[in-house]
Amino acid sequence: MSHSEKAEIFNKNEAKVNWHDKALWFVREKRDTAAHKVKGWEELRNLASGIKANVLSNLDEYLIEFEENAQKNGIKVHWASDAEEHNTIIHKILEDNKVEKVVKSKSMLTEECHLNPFLEDRGIEVIDTDLGERIVQLAKETPSHIVLPAIHKTKEEVDTLFQEHLGTKPSNGNPEYLTNEARKHLRDKFLKADAAITGVNFAIAETGGIVVCTNEGNADMGAHLVKTHIACMGIEKIIPNEEHLGVFLRLLARSATGQPITTYSSHFNKPAEGKEMHIVIVDNGRTEQLSRKEFRSSLHCIRCGACMNTCPIYRRSGGHSYDATIPGPIGSILSPGKDLTKHSSLPFASTLCGSCSNVCPVKINIHEQLYAWRQIVTKEVKQPVVKKTILKITGVALSNRLLFNIAGKSARFMLKYAPRFMVYSKLNVWGKARELPEIKNQNFDDWYKVKRKNNG
Amino acid sequence: MGRESILKSIKSNKPELVELPEIDLNLFAEEIDILEAFKSNVKLVGGKLKELGDNEDIDSVIRELYPKAERIVSQLPGSNLRTVLITKETEPHSLEKIDLAIIKGEFGVAENGSVWVSENQFSVRVLPFITNDLVIVLSKKDLCLHMHEAYKKIANRDRNFGLFISGPSKTADIEQCLVIGAQGAMSLTIVLI
Ligand code: SF4
Repeated sequence: MSHSEKAEIFNKNEAKVNWHDKALWFVREKRDTAAHKVKGWEELRNLASGIKANVLSNLDEYLIEFEENAQKNGIKVHWASDAEEHNTIIHKILEDNKVEKVVKSKSMLTEECHLNPFLEDRGIEVIDTDLGERIVQLAKETPSHIVLPAIHKTKEEVDTLFQEHLGTKPSNGNPEYLTNEARKHLRDKFLKADAAITGVNFAIAETGGIVVCTNEGNADMGAHLVKTHIACMGIEKIIPNEEHLGVFLRLLARSATGQPITTYSSHFNKPAEGKEMHIVIVDNGRTEQLSRKEFRSSLHCIRCGACMNTCPIYRRSGGHSYDATIPGPIGSILSPGKDLTKHSSLPFASTLCGSCSNVCPVKINIHEQLYAWRQIVTKEVKQPVVKKTILKITGVALSNRLLFNIAGKSARFMLKYAPRFMVYSKLNVWGKARELPEIKNQNFDDWYKVKRKNNG
Repeated sequence: MGRESILKSIKSNKPELVELPEIDLNLFAEEIDILEAFKSNVKLVGGKLKELGDNEDIDSVIRELYPKAERIVSQLPGSNLRTVLITKETEPHSLEKIDLAIIKGEFGVAENGSVWVSENQFSVRVLPFITNDLVIVLSKKDLCLHMHEAYKKIANRDRNFGLFISGPSKTADIEQCLVIGAQGAMSLTIVLI
């Protein structure tokens, strides 16, 4: 199914789509407020982009340096060319340690490698411990956003889910109650786990250490209780020196949620006495992306999610419509590199307004790469499919007033670059356009409460 | 497969060497009151703040803040609040029911209200996360402006485990409603001395 067809499904529930749209825009506004408070924000972005460009140009050397330093500190380093190798390595470590129960903190890489089903098929229990990820795990779904995995779920849906799986009382979706029940449930899982799997936000070549950032504390609760901690990272997570963390940690949380920093930024350098720490370094298509000059800088991504929050198409189509582990604008330039035919509609899921590139903390020229992918798709993928997609997506952007307003710039772009039939298409897969209330001077919760009340 | 093939593939696919940029700290210098900035950011991130008055002592201030706490781990030299003794050998799971942990912070960062703490300040790594409530005692003198300065301060540390903590654990995963108290500590109080 193409992106627009999946988006159509998401758009059946109009109230939910409007909520989703506004909620993410609210996060985008928080990002703006946080960014504006930092002196030299643009210089920080330039630095981050420059550091990442250096990393990619010297990646093999940095990885070797990282490995050497990590090993000196007693960390075991493994390398995996693809998802299967990654999963097999992890399974072997778990097997060697007779592990039956694993707690996992957020790692888009393990999602990408479909680690959970792989381990479950081999009789190992895997519990996702980030609240949003636990919610989607219980619902047998995948995260729809890389930072806000359950943003597509209403609190009533979470309530029902928890009643069914955690035995909670009906609470009309009370977030405090539900979060606290999840806390108890997850505590029990942490205490019973034999091993912990975490992601890696940054791996430092100079020290051989890794940094993991969370707000919930779940990565640390997992890693420090068990005997075996396995951290999984894509090759692009490397940064040269520890001082570069100063740049990236200033950017990451502000771009992601508007917080000045995540609650916990944990620096793991050595395993604790009597414990084991493993790091799995994964390629899985990344070196191929490295070879594509035009798309190389997509590997700068630090997974903050800002490009999703700001994207008018993402906000109104939902993460699942992208049918990929990484959705949104960045996903739309990463996925075609993995499977051009399957993901051929993604580069068209954009108004090319450039908002993604404007907020990206590492300055990836996302919208230009989307445009570049379109040209490749148009050349290499069967035409009728493509045309239909272009029509639909363009229809979306130009027939929906909200999108049109947000994407004023893109409309000009379209008029300049798109053929006539695209620009004047009347197709509308997004449902009727709506006037949406102003939410300025009101925080999102208030706005939402008022709105809900009004709607009964 | 594995290491050699990944490294080989990078070698043949990577671009020409791009120079590593220098971080010019002048770009980020600011003349601000870092104590005030720190205090306001601690509150912004959901932390509580208590400044020790001239005639107050740390123990009674903490007692007042957490009157119900029974199982207390204090890693503060000279503190009499401790009811549970832990050492490097303590089994981490045994800390499951700790009500309050008190540790010393090495320094605070004004721009984000975070405090750097490391294994030197707590005997068991899981302590600041598994405890129900956390108190960090920090000297007002130990503050820096931003993360660039922070990394200069820890550049020569003994690298084992350490972290920046900014406020209590939290989540907004249910409909973007902020809830304090996720999987880590339910509250964080910074006692400034
Ligand atoms: S592409 Fe940029 S904005 Fe999007 S998730 Fe990655 S770092 Fe964030």
